[in-house]
Parts: sequence; C-alpha cells; structure tokens
Amino acid sequence: MNKVVKLMSKTEVINIEGKKIKLSNPEKLLWPEAGIRKIDYLARMIELAPYIIPHAKNRLLTTIRYPDGIHGESFFSKNLPEYAPKWISRDVWNDTEYALLDSVSTLAWFVNMAALEFHTSFNTSDRDEYPTCLVFDLDPSEGQTFDDVIEVSLLVKEILDSLAITSYIKTSGASGMQIYIPTGGKYHYNDARKVNEFFGSYFARKYPNKITIERMVNKRGTRLYFDYLQMWQGKTITMVYSPRAKEKATVSMPVTWNEVKRGIKPEDFTLNNAMDRLKKVGDLFEPLLSVKTAEKSLDDVFRKVLAE
Amino acid sequence: MHTMWKGSISFGLVNIPIKMFAATEDRDVHFRFLHKKCKSPIKNERVCPSCNEKITPEDIVRGYEYEPGQFVIIKDEDIEAVKPRSAKTIEILDFVRLSEIDPIYFEKSYYLSPQETGDSKAYNLLRAAMKDTGRIAIARITIRDKQSLAALRVLDNVLVLETIFFPDEVRPVSQIPGIPEDSATDQRELEMAKQLIENLTSEFQPEKYVDTYREALLEMIHRKVEGEEIVSAPEAPQRNVIDLMAALQASLDKAQELRREAKASASGKGKARGNPFDNFSGNAEDIPSRMPKELKDAVWLKPVLTAWVNFLEWTSDGNLRHPKILGFTDLSPHEATGAEFIE
Repeated sequence: MNKVVKLMSKTEVINIEGKKIKLSNPEKLLWPEAGIRKIDYLARMIELAPYIIPHAKNRLLTTIRYPDGIHGESFFSKNLPEYAPKWISRDVWNDTEYALLDSVSTLAWFVNMAALEFHTSFNTSDRDEYPTCLVFDLDPSEGQTFDDVIEVSLLVKEILDSLAITSYIKTSGASGMQIYIPTGGKYHYNDARKVNEFFGSYFARKYPNKITIERMVNKRGTRLYFDYLQMWQGKTITMVYSPRAKEKATVSMPVTWNEVKRGIKPEDFTLNNAMDRLKKVGDLFEPLLSVKTAEKSLDDVFRKVLAE
Repeated sequence: MHTMWKGSISFGLVNIPIKMFAATEDRDVHFRFLHKKCKSPIKNERVCPSCNEKITPEDIVRGYEYEPGQFVIIKDEDIEAVKPRSAKTIEILDFVRLSEIDPIYFEKSYYLSPQETGDSKAYNLLRAAMKDTGRIAIARITIRDKQSLAALRVLDNVLVLETIFFPDEVRPVSQIPGIPEDSATDQRELEMAKQLIENLTSEFQPEKYVDTYREALLEMIHRKVEGEEIVSAPEAPQRNVIDLMAALQASLDKAQELRREAKASASGKGKARGNPFDNFSGNAEDIPSRMPKELKDAVWLKPVLTAWVNFLEWTSDGNLRHPKILGFTDLSPHEATGAEFIE
C-alpha cells in the first residue's frame, strides 16, 4: 500500500493512493467525549486500514453516517450517492449500488462523509447466496449487564467445543458480542439459517432462564437475545474493527476465548487504543479470511440438522 | 412501549425532539392456516405462473399497472427520486379548534414524548400554550416515506398526534346514493324521537363498551383448548433440538474414540496431538514426525519441563499460531492441568 498523506490545514485536501480526498471540517468533534475530531478519526482509520480492508474489500458495505457527530442525526447509507467519486469500487445488488471498501482512499472518503459505523454483508459480493460464516449475535436485554453476555458466550463456546467446532468471537462495540463460525461459504443462506436456528432453539431450550430467541422485545424479559435471524441475504452486521457511535468511541474488537473467560468490557477497546492492541495480538479474525471450506465437524451438524 | 419514530416538532423557532409511540393496537384474534391433512402451518411460496418457477426476492421488480395487463417497471431509484425528503420533523402549519375538524379526517393516533429529559421544557411550553388557548395544531409530517397531515393536541398531559387524511382521500358525500332531501317531518314523531334520544343520553364512558365478538371468540377458543380439542403440528418440523444435539455430541465422541484407537494401534507414529515425546530418547532420529523439519540447526533434547502455551490454533503444517508461553512445571504433560499457571 503506497500511501502518501499530506496534511495541509489550509487546503484540507489529502492525497491518498494518488486520489485527492477533500476533508471538510477537519476540526469537527465527531466523538466529543473521547475527544476525536474528524482529522483524528481519519488518522486512526488510516492506521487501522490494513486490518479493516481485508475483511471489507469484497463485501457489500453499509455505513451509518453522523454528519454532526455521534449526538447528531444519523442515517443508514447503502446506495452510493451519485456524487461519489468514480474510482470507488462498487457492486449492484437488488437494485442498490453498494460500495466495496477495498482501499485506503475509499475508507478516507467515507471518513470525510462522517461514516462512523461500517456494516458489511454476511456473504462476499461474488457469492450472494452463501454466507461465509454462521453468526450468532448475542444481545443483552434491558436490565442485563455485559457479564451476562460473557456468561452466555461461554455456554455457547462450551457446546461448540463439545462438537469440535472452531469459533471466533468479537465485541459488537455496543452492548453485545458476536460469535463467528466459518463455513467457507459452503452453505446456502437457507441451510445456514436452519443450522443457526437449530443452535438458537437449542440454547433457548437448554437455558430457558438465560437465553431467548423471542423476537418481541417485551417478551424477552431479562434474558439474553440470541439473534440467529440477522444472518441473511441483504442484511448486514457491524464489521470487525468498525468504530461505533458511542461516547467512548468503542470498536468492534475480536478477542480470544481466554480473554472472554478472564472478563472484558466493550469499553476496553476504543479508537484510541485499538492500534496498540493490534500491534500486540495481530488480527485475531485473520483465520476467517483463509477458510476455504467448513470443518468436518460442522459438516456433520449441517448434514444431521438438514436431514431432520 | 416501543418507540416507532424519532424526530422533532418544529414550532416557530423552537425545535422539540420527540419520540413517537403508537397509541392504539390491534386486538383482533388472528388465526394461522394449517394443512388440513397434517396440521402443519402452511408456508406461502411465490411462483411465476408463466415460467412455472419459484420466485426469490431478487427475482422481483415492481410494476405499475397503468392499464389492465400493461405495466411500467418502477425501480427503487425511481421512487427514491420523488420521495419526500425525510425531514423527520412535525412541522406545525396552523392552529385551529378541534371542533373544526370532522372526525372523518382522523386516521391513526400516536403519543409523543420528549426524547431526552432536557427536551421537556420546550415540550411543556407547547403543551401549556395549547391547553391555555384551547387550540390544536395542524402539522405536516413524514413517517416512513409517506407524507401526511396531522393534528397535534393534548390528551391528559400527553401530546397526541392524529394523522389526518388529505381532503382528496375523503370521498365526497355527494357520491352516496339514496340520501333523502331534508323534508317536513311529522311533529309528533319528531318529538318522540327526541324524547328517546333524551332518555338514552349519558356520559361517554369508553370502558363500558367491549368487543363482544372477540370475547365470544376467545371464550370459544379457550373451551376448545381446555377440552383438548386441539391439534398439534407433527413433531418433525418442531424437531427436538435437545435430542439432536445429544446425538451430534455422541457421534463426535464416537469419532474421537475411533481416532484414539487408531492412534494406539499405530503406536508411536505420533500422528495424534497427544504427547509426542512419550517415547523420545533424545536422539534426533526420534523426533516425532509432526515436528517442524526445517529447523536445521536445532538441537533436540529430551524434554524435562512441561510448558503451558496459549495459542490461537494449529496451522496446517503443524505449527502453533500466536503462541505465548504462560509458564513451566516439572509435572509431566499428563499430570499438568494448567491450573498452576492461570491467575
């Protein structure tokens, strides 16, 4: 990656990978509590780019934009606006033109648009009916703490271990955690959802006081919501290393299962310290990039669940 | 209550951030359609009658039937281009008296609350002013891409928004057939009718009225459930996930057992990830086969200490990814539990 960053406060035009990117209002505070101005945000994202881009480059991108910072109005942005530069890679799906976040310059362009959250599809853009992972989205209900999320994550992990299924986990950056089981894109959304549903119903049945798959918020009580439905074509999930529009500028961060056991908090991982951690532990989600097919143990689960 | 919309009321120079809640709910009794034969809930499948193909969401485009059988295709971006700009505001246009609006205009009611406690002051101001003047506001509002007129009024201490129909959505009464002209009525009949109205006049007490059909329906359903006149869908679609998980775990245990046996019979070949040094003599020739070979200058010793290593995973060529030594013990690998090293 050949990046040339020139910060000239007066011109506010940045040259990245030969592309001129305008940076409007560089002094605007996007995360006032964390003290992050747009210019700081850009600097952090350029550092994080080598970690973000491999996970984002071939997925449909949806961003949440906060033109006036995290406390202002926000909106989901899927369709690339017409004024977006022509050099941004894109892919049309379902009549919508999505950006593919495949370069530092594209990332910088989105930073200037005050895109504070990056969400990507479960599938790569070339195989739109095949998610690359099973994803369990664990979301605490009102009155629950992050410790409840940790407790349930470990229950899930225990069962996955008992099936010899490899799983990865990250914080969502908000209040929950997400568990990823790579399939290498081997299974269609329909089949992947059935297996996800199997896990969801199993956990809800096995731990009825702790876990629920109830979609109606008011029927969940103080049980953790095991969201197996989010994983679907056209839907997106906060991507790994995406910042969140939260006061502490938290980041969706992969963690090891040992860290989960020892106890973590979403606020441990922020835009301000993410790079220090990545330098130390590297990209814990890197294995997800190279998985070509599902593990045999996962194949067994698919075979048996789909045969039912 | 579930917030269904967030936006703000714009009132002169004041902006009042609010949350909106549906004020009414559908209490109808709903039924599901089952397959008569096996009682499974049926699923709807979309099929193209011309191609005889199953249709998935991405096979669908919208068409506007401008005359029978003639369609013009409308894409999302066509709609996007004419959509009202979702300003997310309830823009107050005028103040009027509630009695000036005929109830026929009222469509749906929503409750509004201030978004943050800090927004209460402006909310309270508008509420007090409307209470004192006895006026209600007419506003323009955009909810989910649909622009609508609305009346904003105060009910018990809450700002209530009633969406109201645009005039061209209300059919003119002139279109109703068979409405008699006002004509002279028999004076005695009129007196009697007025007397009857007088006798039946009371205060409006909404709680007096109940949906008697719904009550009868629910009671009938309840009796059926009690009387076990119930049908259940066959077990298959509601597979027992607990049993299935147990079966999956059992087959895995079996597979692991088979692998252990295979390892025992191949004794010393060291394929499995047990303790590869069980039979190690200290000679380089005896280095277990799955140890990396490319460490040319390495000198191999018989291990005397056991290390507890935290690592991410095994790589395909038998290395550890991101290994980190947590500590050593002189217990053998079989006896070490790791408890020695974990804080």
